[in-house]
Amino acid sequence: MTIQTKLPEFKTDEMVINLGPQHPATHGVLRLILTLDGEVVKHTEPVLGHLHRAQEWQGQNRTWFQYQALIDRVDYLSGMFTSWALSRAAEVIDGTEVPRRAEFLRVLCAELNRISSHLLWLGTYLIDLGALYGFPFYPFIEREKILTFFEEISGQRMMYNYIRIGGVQRDPKAEWFKKVEEFTKDFPKRVDEWEAIVTENPIFLNRTKGIGVLTKEVAQAYGVTGPTLRASGIDFDLRRFKPYSVYPELKFDVPVYNKDGDTWDRYMARIQEMRQSIEIIKQVLDMIPEGEIMSKKQNAGLRIKAGEGFAAVESPRGILGCYITSNGSDKPYRFRWRNPSFSNLSVLPPLLEERPISDIMAIFGSLDIILPDVDR
Amino acid sequence: MSEENKPADKPEEKPVPAAKPVAPAAPAPEPAPPPSLGTYGKMLKEKGIECTPMALSTGVETIEIAPAQLPAALKFLRESPQAQLDFLVTVSGVDSPDTIDSVYHLWSYTKTDELVIKVRVPKANIPADKLPEVPSIASYWQTADWHERETYDLVGIRYIGHRYLRRILNPWDWEGHPLRRDYKQLVDALNDKNPESFR
Repeated sequence: MTIQTKLPEFKTDEMVINLGPQHPATHGVLRLILTLDGEVVKHTEPVLGHLHRAQEWQGQNRTWFQYQALIDRVDYLSGMFTSWALSRAAEVIDGTEVPRRAEFLRVLCAELNRISSHLLWLGTYLIDLGALYGFPFYPFIEREKILTFFEEISGQRMMYNYIRIGGVQRDPKAEWFKKVEEFTKDFPKRVDEWEAIVTENPIFLNRTKGIGVLTKEVAQAYGVTGPTLRASGIDFDLRRFKPYSVYPELKFDVPVYNKDGDTWDRYMARIQEMRQSIEIIKQVLDMIPEGEIMSKKQNAGLRIKAGEGFAAVESPRGILGCYITSNGSDKPYRFRWRNPSFSNLSVLPPLLEERPISDIMAIFGSLDIILPDVDR
Repeated sequence: MSEENKPADKPEEKPVPAAKPVAPAAPAPEPAPPPSLGTYGKMLKEKGIECTPMALSTGVETIEIAPAQLPAALKFLRESPQAQLDFLVTVSGVDSPDTIDSVYHLWSYTKTDELVIKVRVPKANIPADKLPEVPSIASYWQTADWHERETYDLVGIRYIGHRYLRRILNPWDWEGHPLRRDYKQLVDALNDKNPESFR
């Protein structure tokens, strides 16, 4: 199959137009100031901060206990991971041992959350590409099931506040595990169905193959992480590279595509990641031990020892890190979030250069950026 | 009447505070042995770049570098085959009690080593209406471009040599740097008593 990438050559006056801030495909509020030559993008300047909620300021003006409940809002599609990053950083500084059952529950919930986040991406990305009818709602059916699981254990569909410093909040009942097990049996078939519709679809291939090629060098220079980086052929997954929690005991593959690093590869990387997450969940369901789930008393006077440290987790979008300076009081001295979307978005201007307008959303969507995560 | 009733209730209520252990507000810094240079500190020293070892940041080597030598140090650490710290995770700003710090977390794509570099500008050296100045590495390392802009915006560090040092999260006409400890909100929206205020 040949793809027409050569554009007709003609010269017009350059024009500056705004894309956004209110645009249905930007998944939040993002403004791009585009300089166009005809249909071709010459220069892009992203304008951030429309969703800035001063999360770092709130961190140093609230107690640890209060702030735990707030941070799910940093990345509302994968709240488990923001809680986990904060908890890990605090535990590393404090020297808290997390009970084994809690670690398994964390992995279980995080992997379910990774799937639900990728499912929302899959549905909305197809909408971005113009597949408005039918397909986008198929992934949402499965996502709904996962959100129901989370609602049963945390009482919330999106802002879980489930992973806490020192463990997890509630112990699910045996029936809950059975439901998750049934879900894991059914889910791979659903992925096969979606792949049958999307992966080799000629329209989809036309919109994604060979477009938005992100080379290794550019990805590394901009600090891109997550599936976006792995689709460019760099095997860098924190779960494997610097294993944390109980990941060393689990068997799973890290899908790496050493092809072009184009938009289609990034799509494929996420599809494969969902399959691997299901494998991890199956193992966790077999291995999960009985026991305690919390090792630190959860009350308003929660304190962390003085010290500083950086801890990160592999979120659906990349490395989500947390640099904390604590002075031993009930409030953190300084909170710094390292958000994957922030770095991943910074690579957008070079990717859009010399591309036609119609590719903007195909490329932007494939980076899987969530704007509250960028703006905090 | 009501004034007389109140004191009678009170004494029975709280016998607790005496038993409550008071947590120390700031634990005294324990006399740890003076930190010595780690692997990367020694590498930099061989290269002729002065660095001071600092207390470990939860097990990770931490060094302090003078502002003028930062670009050379980062260039060496990124490119030399024995260091290979080619992943700049984040650039953060910290408003410490006596200094303003610019903190660089370096990782590697090929090995699990980490390094934390701090550039500290003493508050005593900063003129009253000026921002602390640290050389920019944004033109050399693209990750730092937005991270430095964010640190400038929120903590107020001026990165010398950055070609587009503009606020990134706050509006472009915002005043002050919100993550400074002495930052005062122009209007305290929660406790605003002024009826004329638009809030």
